[in-house]
Amino acid sequence: MTDGPLIVQSDKTLLLEIDHKDSSACRQAIAPFAELERAPEHVHTYRLTPLGLWNARAAGHDAESVVDALVRFSRYAVPHALLVDVADTMDRYGRLQLLNHPVHGLALHALDRAVLAEVIRNRKIAPMLGDRVDEDTMAVHPSERGRLKQALLKVGWPAEDLAGYVDGEAHQIDLKEDGWTLRDYQRHAVEGFWAGGSGVVVLPCGAGKTLVGAAAMAEAKATTLILVTNTVAGRQWKRELVARTTLTEDEIGEYSGERKEIRPVTIATYQVMTTRRKGEYRHLELFGARDWGLIVYDEVHLLPAPIFRLTADLQSRRRLGLTATLVREDGREGDVFSLIGPKRYDAPWKDIEAQGWIAPAECVEVRVTLTDAERMAYATAEPEERYKVASTARTKLPVVSKLVERHPDEPVLVIGAYLGQLDDLAAELDAPIIQGSTTNKERERLFGLFREGKIRTLVVSKVANFSIDLPEAAVAIQVSGTFGSRQEEAQRLGRVLRPKADHRQAHFYTVVSRDTLDSEYAAHRQRFLAEQGYSYTIVDADDVLGPPLPEVP
Amino acid sequence: MSRPAHRTLAEHLRALPDEELAALLRARPDLAVPVPIDVSVLASRAQTRMSVARALDHLDLFTLEILDGLRLHEKTSVDALGALAGTGAPEAAVREAVKTLTTLGIVWPDGDHLRVTAAADETCSPYPAGLGRPMSALVTTYSTAQLAPILDALSLPPTSQPEAGALLAEAFGERHRVQHLVNLAPPEAQAVLRKLAEGPPLGAVREARRSVPAAETDTPVRWLLAHGLLMALDDDSVELPREVGLVLREANVLGELHPSPPEIPSVKQPDADRAGSGQATEVLRLVDAVLEACAADPPGVLRSGGIGVRDTRRLAKSAGVDEPSLPLLLELARSAGLLDDTGSGDPEWLPTPGYDTWTGETQEVRWAWIARAWLGMTRLPGLIGQRDDKDRIIAPLSFDAERVSAPELRRMTLAVLAGLPKNAAAGPQDVLSLLHWRSPRRGGRRREDAVRWALGEAAILGVTGRGALTSYGRALLAGTDPAPVLAAQLPDPLDHVLVQADLTVVAPGPLQPELAAQLALVADVESAGSATVYRVTPASVRRALDAGRSASDLHLLFKERSRTAVPQALTYLIDDVARRHGGLRSGSASAYLRSDDETLLTEILADRRCEALRLRRLAPTVLISTATPNRLIDGLRTAGYAPVIEDEFGTLVLSRPDARRAAPRPRLTRPGADLPTLSDDQLTEAVRAVRRGDDAARSARRAPVTTLDAPGATAATAIAVLQQAARERRQVWLGYVDPHGGTLRRLLRPLSIGAGYLRADDENADITLTIALHRITSAILTDEPAAADS
Repeated sequence: MTDGPLIVQSDKTLLLEIDHKDSSACRQAIAPFAELERAPEHVHTYRLTPLGLWNARAAGHDAESVVDALVRFSRYAVPHALLVDVADTMDRYGRLQLLNHPVHGLALHALDRAVLAEVIRNRKIAPMLGDRVDEDTMAVHPSERGRLKQALLKVGWPAEDLAGYVDGEAHQIDLKEDGWTLRDYQRHAVEGFWAGGSGVVVLPCGAGKTLVGAAAMAEAKATTLILVTNTVAGRQWKRELVARTTLTEDEIGEYSGERKEIRPVTIATYQVMTTRRKGEYRHLELFGARDWGLIVYDEVHLLPAPIFRLTADLQSRRRLGLTATLVREDGREGDVFSLIGPKRYDAPWKDIEAQGWIAPAECVEVRVTLTDAERMAYATAEPEERYKVASTARTKLPVVSKLVERHPDEPVLVIGAYLGQLDDLAAELDAPIIQGSTTNKERERLFGLFREGKIRTLVVSKVANFSIDLPEAAVAIQVSGTFGSRQEEAQRLGRVLRPKADHRQAHFYTVVSRDTLDSEYAAHRQRFLAEQGYSYTIVDADDVLGPPLPEVP
Repeated sequence: MSRPAHRTLAEHLRALPDEELAALLRARPDLAVPVPIDVSVLASRAQTRMSVARALDHLDLFTLEILDGLRLHEKTSVDALGALAGTGAPEAAVREAVKTLTTLGIVWPDGDHLRVTAAADETCSPYPAGLGRPMSALVTTYSTAQLAPILDALSLPPTSQPEAGALLAEAFGERHRVQHLVNLAPPEAQAVLRKLAEGPPLGAVREARRSVPAAETDTPVRWLLAHGLLMALDDDSVELPREVGLVLREANVLGELHPSPPEIPSVKQPDADRAGSGQATEVLRLVDAVLEACAADPPGVLRSGGIGVRDTRRLAKSAGVDEPSLPLLLELARSAGLLDDTGSGDPEWLPTPGYDTWTGETQEVRWAWIARAWLGMTRLPGLIGQRDDKDRIIAPLSFDAERVSAPELRRMTLAVLAGLPKNAAAGPQDVLSLLHWRSPRRGGRRREDAVRWALGEAAILGVTGRGALTSYGRALLAGTDPAPVLAAQLPDPLDHVLVQADLTVVAPGPLQPELAAQLALVADVESAGSATVYRVTPASVRRALDAGRSASDLHLLFKERSRTAVPQALTYLIDDVARRHGGLRSGSASAYLRSDDETLLTEILADRRCEALRLRRLAPTVLISTATPNRLIDGLRTAGYAPVIEDEFGTLVLSRPDARRAAPRPRLTRPGADLPTLSDDQLTEAVRAVRRGDDAARSARRAPVTTLDAPGATAATAIAVLQQAARERRQVWLGYVDPHGGTLRRLLRPLSIGAGYLRADDENADITLTIALHRITSAILTDEPAAADS
């Protein structure tokens, strides 16, 4: 019986006891192949998945090192079946390779003839393959490179893509490190990506993903297409690139609903790319508009399905995916793996936070008790209206303004999902409001003022969920949300986790109506945050509103 | 020294000293039951096929090879046999094998020679030592025409069967001739011969029977067939004649011998015990999960016993077990007495009361319980999912997976591992080869599968770890208690857990059963294995509250048992659920009493005359009672109040006292004129039946009555009645027992009585019956006059 920090469960979860003396060594050993699922304060849960194991294989780890790490750190006997399964699964990656054959061009090469025989017989895969080059190699139609990888992943034989990339149209891009340098983890991320050719870098919000993108561009020194979630995020990218690289405003084009510029570096939104007119995607030709040397996908976990289809055709270009989480609500993690590439870098939030790059946040749930009238309104509301009734209770207003008062010197974001409630809040707090109908110009003006500290409080709607950059928001107050989505939670937390100039603590408040659906959703949120390792406290609205109770000795 | 001659086994046995006879009975216990009355009975019993086969089953490969040698050369001496074995085996080993065979009474000395019991030939392969049958036996199936080309090829004079066969056999009897023929064969053909000479001497050839003249042969095999070096058995198989085989083997008449068991290359696995203990805990968890799944939604019992495909799939899913391992778990549970069918009209598979006992035991005791059941179970779970002889899929727990030989095979397999040094592992192929040497005849055609399955099951159970027998597996096999041995390998049960802010509770190892039970009540298991992850949810807290725990009990549980600080979120959760728990109350009442006048209700509640109505106040304006509404109303009226009844919608029900009346009953309608009409045939048949019944009744009234079951009646009197009836050709009512044991009465006309049988005509059915006299129970003469003689 050893006394290791790790417990390997037969359902392929790994429990890591944090307080154990060997826990950090163990974490380093298992991080390459196990995905961190939950990181609450004492025991972290990792999960072994085929994708995770293949990601590890892609990064050069072999089954023996995985098995060794499990056995070495395990406190109890590791179930034998699990070890066998790990070895089998890992062994499946790379038995098939995509190569550039000197004569036949793109080819599928098998290190194991039986595997090739198996996939050739697959009805979906057979049409993508061309003639047999030799016993172990089949020609592949270059247009099918992406789809073939997708299909092979589905049948459990992920191919290693060694076919290389086109350089694209050269364009000089350099980082302009005047008074700042890339942080260590950012440099590791870029190195990991560049060595692998294509792939995904996972970094928490606020950890400087944009810089990773910029550094990758400086590495590629080629024309670049950047895909972002919306226009505001695009402008933010542009601003950042102008500030941090040798690129000038004129070299960067915006391709959005408003403007259609194609320049050496072009930033396009997902939305415009997927706009359809008469059933046709109108703007897909952008992908072919230039000989792009690099394609950057911001927020890969939100990548819409049509872009996946397009990406399948772009397999010869270098692709960099940036995201805070590989968890997709639609479960298409496999497509990210096969089309963008394997995970090239991942750092647990808490680790980056410990390095001081993102502000430690205190999460507080403030529970308000509804008035009798509000309770009655909630009790008799239609089922589809109940969440709205609960979360928009007026009782929340004084609590929010008290919370804002608590932080007189800090920038405060108030986030909600219902416009009426936001209007009320704006009136109550006497603060400007940003919502869907606010023009981009007005948005940028307000953000500018907010950044400069001329506006202390902003009330924002769902737009805040997407990549806008609010560097000094130290306090976020959430009053209503979209049914406890984990992704939204990560985004909102990201709003306040941007590095603070003076390393002050960030605060994340959630105002919740007690005993309603609102508090049920809050429970999801609470679980998510606790799993991310944040301290989470619950306080009563009375403690916020009323005078502090006298201390009774 | 010349030994006495014993031409039969009986003579040999008779001459044996008592202790050697006892040794025979010890080695073959089936001969002693029941005790034979004399030696000749013992000898004949010892030479029955069944008994010899049973004795041979226990012999190793080498002894059987020596037996083959004795069968091949009847009446050889031990020395001659040693010479036969040649360099293939040391002489001492040959002697030892002969001694074993002699002790078993399969071989006995006749003078200097050895005789083999004839039953050995019947039970062993027809190809002793892998040699074919002699030519004389092979030619019998050939026709004259088929033999002609062979005779021609060998330059023998053409003749017809059976002389032709005899001629050929004679020719092959001359060794040098066969040798010459073999030398003549083309090299490819010689290779074929050598292959077959190694044994078994059979080969498959298409159109083996087609005779081709020697000059026209196109393939090596055809050449051999044309020269009689291979003989066709039927259209597609050939056999190498013994004479040819012997020539090819030269000095090694018995072929390759195996005087010693094969070496097993064993690999040391120092952490076998640790790996096995991991499996042991795992299998306990899985068995538990499967049984819990059975309890939650019991699978039905198929008509053939067992569980259907759909139920199996569902069980696997709900228990979180992969489908291939489910059959073994189910079989283990049933064999361990933890699962059984309910047996009633619509039977289901449910955990037994034994399951509750089992769950209360410590891990090692639970494992020993299951492992013992496995070792002794007469089931082959490996068969499940395969198809039986009728091409039906064998279901888990069905009768089709029953194999009486299973425990013996399992023990044999483990015994191989137990024979290795401590912690030495061996692969299935090595185990199989050793088993093949030790007892080649045992295990039947499923042996290879059964051994592989046994090893697979042993690994799943943790009886083996990394292919080596674990220390507790060894104890299990030796019949000692494996529990303490296993206990030393298992982690000590913990008395604490780790509670986290995401409302998970992690037990970083096995928990004390009492703590595990408490947690199972208040939290849901999210991940199980060596450790357990529980999640506390509002539903699970409510479950604990429903079971009678209070919020403070739960707070205390976490405070005492958590090694980490209890997170605020958990405290809030428990308090939140507890606050709402019991906020709604439900019960049963059969009547209510409501009034807007609270004082009136208070008055009624205080009224002693209303005590019998057992009223209880629910709200200021509502009382309830367990009395029926009518009794409540009556009681209140008697007490001088003026209540009225309302219906379920709250409207007033006005009622006037009913006068008493008898309950209405539907009247029977008078039979109408619409009766069915009967056909003439039906009428005739009805009349006849009435007449028969009438005859029977009258006969019963009148003498002479002869009934065997009447007191004083004898078979003789019944026969006298029948004889009289036969003489007078009168009908009798005959009672008799039919072949199914039922008693029949029939009107018959006896024809004759003789040799213990009665022959009689049944005129109604127009047949003649033959009835054994001892079956007749009664005979009654009818008063019908003698039939008109035709």
